[in-house]
Amino acid sequence: MISFDFEYYKPTSIIEAVNLFQYLHQKGKKPIYYAGGTEIITRARRNDLSMKAVIDIKAIPECTVFQFQDNKLIIGAVITLTHLSEVNVFPLLSRTSSGAADHTARNKITLGGNISGRIIYREAVLPFLLSNSQVVIAGPKGIKYASIHQVFKKTLQVEAGEFLVQVITDKNYINLPYVVARKTKIQKVEYPLATIAAIKRKEQIRTAFSGVCSFPFRSLEMEKELNDRSVPLRVRIDRAISHLPGPLLSNVEGTAEYRKFVLGNTLEDILEILEGERGC
Amino acid sequence: MSHLDIIGENVPRKEALEKVTGAAKYTNDDIRPGLLHVKMTTSTYAHANIVSIDTSKAWKVPGVRAIVTGKQFPFLTGTPLEDRPPIAIDKVRYYGEPVAVVVADYEFQAKKAAELIKVAYEPLPVVNSVSEAIKRTAPLIHENLGRYKRVEEVYPEDNTNIANRTKIRKGDMQKGWMKSEVIVTANVSFPQSDHAAMETRCARAEILPDGRAIIHSASQSPFVIKKVISRYFQIHPGKVIVHTPLVGGAFGGKVSIQLEFIAFLASYAVGGRMVKIVNTREEDFITSPVHIGLDARVKLGCTKSGELIAAEIIYLFDGGAYSDRAAIISRAAAADCTGPYNIENVWCDSLCIYTNHPYATAFRGFGHSELTFAIERAMDLLANKLNMDPLELRLKNAIAPGNTSPTQVPLNVSNIGDLSKCLEKLRGLMNWNEGQRIKIGNNKVKAKGIGCFWKNSNTPTNAGSGAVLTFNPDGSISLSCGVVEIGQGTKTALAQIVAETMKMDINQIHVRMEVNTETNPEHWKTAASRSLFMAGRAVLAAAEDAINQLREVASIVLRCAPEELAVGRGRVFLKSEPNIGISIQEIAYGYTYPNGNSIGGQVIGRGSYILKHLTKLNPETGAGNPGPEWTVGVQAVEVEFDIKNYTYRIIKAASVIDAGKVINMKAAYGQIMGGMCLGLSFASREAFSFSSTGVIQNTQLRTYKIMRLGENPKYIIDFVETPNIEGPYGLRGLGEMGVIGIPAALANSLSLASEVELNQLPLTPELIWKTKKGDQSDLV
Repeated sequence: MISFDFEYYKPTSIIEAVNLFQYLHQKGKKPIYYAGGTEIITRARRNDLSMKAVIDIKAIPECTVFQFQDNKLIIGAVITLTHLSEVNVFPLLSRTSSGAADHTARNKITLGGNISGRIIYREAVLPFLLSNSQVVIAGPKGIKYASIHQVFKKTLQVEAGEFLVQVITDKNYINLPYVVARKTKIQKVEYPLATIAAIKRKEQIRTAFSGVCSFPFRSLEMEKELNDRSVPLRVRIDRAISHLPGPLLSNVEGTAEYRKFVLGNTLEDILEILEGERGC
Repeated sequence: MSHLDIIGENVPRKEALEKVTGAAKYTNDDIRPGLLHVKMTTSTYAHANIVSIDTSKAWKVPGVRAIVTGKQFPFLTGTPLEDRPPIAIDKVRYYGEPVAVVVADYEFQAKKAAELIKVAYEPLPVVNSVSEAIKRTAPLIHENLGRYKRVEEVYPEDNTNIANRTKIRKGDMQKGWMKSEVIVTANVSFPQSDHAAMETRCARAEILPDGRAIIHSASQSPFVIKKVISRYFQIHPGKVIVHTPLVGGAFGGKVSIQLEFIAFLASYAVGGRMVKIVNTREEDFITSPVHIGLDARVKLGCTKSGELIAAEIIYLFDGGAYSDRAAIISRAAAADCTGPYNIENVWCDSLCIYTNHPYATAFRGFGHSELTFAIERAMDLLANKLNMDPLELRLKNAIAPGNTSPTQVPLNVSNIGDLSKCLEKLRGLMNWNEGQRIKIGNNKVKAKGIGCFWKNSNTPTNAGSGAVLTFNPDGSISLSCGVVEIGQGTKTALAQIVAETMKMDINQIHVRMEVNTETNPEHWKTAASRSLFMAGRAVLAAAEDAINQLREVASIVLRCAPEELAVGRGRVFLKSEPNIGISIQEIAYGYTYPNGNSIGGQVIGRGSYILKHLTKLNPETGAGNPGPEWTVGVQAVEVEFDIKNYTYRIIKAASVIDAGKVINMKAAYGQIMGGMCLGLSFASREAFSFSSTGVIQNTQLRTYKIMRLGENPKYIIDFVETPNIEGPYGLRGLGEMGVIGIPAALANSLSLASEVELNQLPLTPELIWKTKKGDQSDLV
């Protein structure tokens, strides 16, 4: 149960949503954009979040797009993770996003919500980091297109009033060999010790990580080491791990030291698969 | 007569349709106009003095009717030892302890106000483990321990953190060690965890103008609630009425009385209006009592041929901030401290220790899955050292008639089940002789481990049960008893006992699921695997009483002696001439002659049962008789283990248990399988994670993991039936047994698979990795 009152708005266009945000913001209502609501509801219940208004973006047509257009796959921000995995047009994305939470929650969790959320795992972003996707962001200054790498640095860097509308991915990336490995403490439905998504493009392996540090990331330095086939596999992995962009996470799911062990073994498995035949 | 042969049959639960259709109602499902809502403010420190409680902002929330703090009602509760205020007074002793309680018109108002209560704390040093707690220099959690009132048998030690100590002194230890040629020591430990029942705890209370207190509670102990509400609030016991509808899982966690006190105080504070308190999942995890933790040291000595000679055992139970049932759990573990083995020389100290952790209460198995983990790890170490098959070692030492228990009870063919038979059966079911560790390629090995167990109950020596049978106009029977339906199916089995005794169709037996302490005969508590045992005896007596009454009336009508009559298929008839008889329907409400004259009157069968010949344990030696009989059994787990990643899959789990007599085969399977699942979940993943200041890190199901449906292994369940003369139809306690040997069996299989001794729980891959690493660095 949420013990405080808040207003609920459901605009039907981007401009309406953006204007509403500014209006509510000026009135001191600390508005937040609302998609699936799983994070907002559960955090508000614990008083970990407070707002006087939410703006539901699920009725905005641009946010509900899920289609190919001119060799690009366009996915709206409010497409649910369950829908992504059931439709399965982008297998790497389906696999990655079907790891988050449990099925009931994924029926509500949206792509945009997962990427923009405060939860430290945000696993749905990994395929887009690997595919150099573009993001569409709406805000008071209008609509902007940007590379995911410009906007997603540990978290989705948006300004007040902005929200993620779509993610656009080049069709060339959709059917590349890939591996997704999701390692947990003991069971499937659990926060990850390490989720690693990897693809092979032009004989180069790309990797993106969640659960390893306190944010999801892709690291070119690590990829450089991993692809340096002049040295033995285990050495490449150890060198890559030495380039982690932050300290290893240590929490109830696992200590930093154990994560390192899991990370090393999992990378070994992934590289063996991708360098062998092809990913699945 | 085959369909009347109902003992052992797969009778569907009487409440099955209600449950599967969602029509079943639980305590929190009852919505009433005018009901007020209660929310708690709980401690954010594990150990701190309460400096002040500022309720001014909370009072400003609309709808707030009352705010109750501990000082307003300064009294201590708890059995056996009164050490716990229902709402903290002056200091808090665990993270999540209730500090203040708000009553408001709506739940959100109560929650809002509870959040606005500002408590100023002065932090105290935190006692974060039993090993810290028993140090001489440890801060005292209860400064007045020596002055606390003892309600039942309990031995707290003043100026320490020891809430209870039970001593077992059997045989001659010096001689025992002299004769021992091979000795092993196992140190094991695991932290507290939780019951995680699907239904969180919930209570309603109201005080009527005539002084009657009406309590509704999701509880295993409605009759205890009646007694303690009467005792602490000085209300005549007849004026305390407790209702318990179906309970959505309990596992021991609903034995304690906690929310009922808070609900009563809250109702009192608003002039007796009905109030309701429902735990959130977080509160249910840590504010309400939890599953006990343990640190143990087991030293076993045996001859070269593997005959056990001596055992020295220390159990240090983490009872948390208040002793509650943990004190009795520590005694129960002492009474059965050796596991089901014949050992002549036994020394055991079993302690219930205070820490700044949530307080512990009963958990399915009541100390036995805990002690069994310690003993069975030691048994595997011993088998290893002797280079002996672990199953053979157990077979060699299996307890049997003629032996004595650690509390020096002589064992006979009735009071102890047949462990050897269970072991032999399991050997076949698990294909034990194919080998216990088999490489299957791909970095994988398959490994099997076993764990033997026994369990007696540790109820009060006068625990008992009652039953009443009344008849309906069609001659069918309604059964009234005080057993709570917590998902275990006891009431269906009781109906089977009535049907069998009355030789009636099971569909003619109706059982009331709800317990009402005003109208149901008392049943001690729905706990300790004693419900079917005790209530079954009461029901048997009630059925026999009804039969005698029916024969009495029928004998007049049929003009014969009552002894010449039998009852069956809804009739009373002449044994010698079964065609001559009369239907129960015609006499259950008295018999009316054609001219209108009537005789008899309605038949009401009544029966009761009380446990017999139980004694308290001698405080110096532990000698005494704690319970009526021991159920024994053996369990095994087979895992597929990845030697590179230390991950594993549980493939198979098996149980062979001496049930005495199985009353309902499918229900027994369900009980055992559920227990095994609980045991696997607890052993593999369930544990509270404490920060260095005693703050619990995983108070949600997001991070406190329990086993999911798809993760269950193949379950193999079988029974041996060695009748217990005291039990109805020879049955033995079964409810808790599925869980007891499982943690040990899993640890034994994984120790074998990983080739490192795993003496801690939960058995996560990280623990195995860490133990492996420690093991390797030890060699360097």
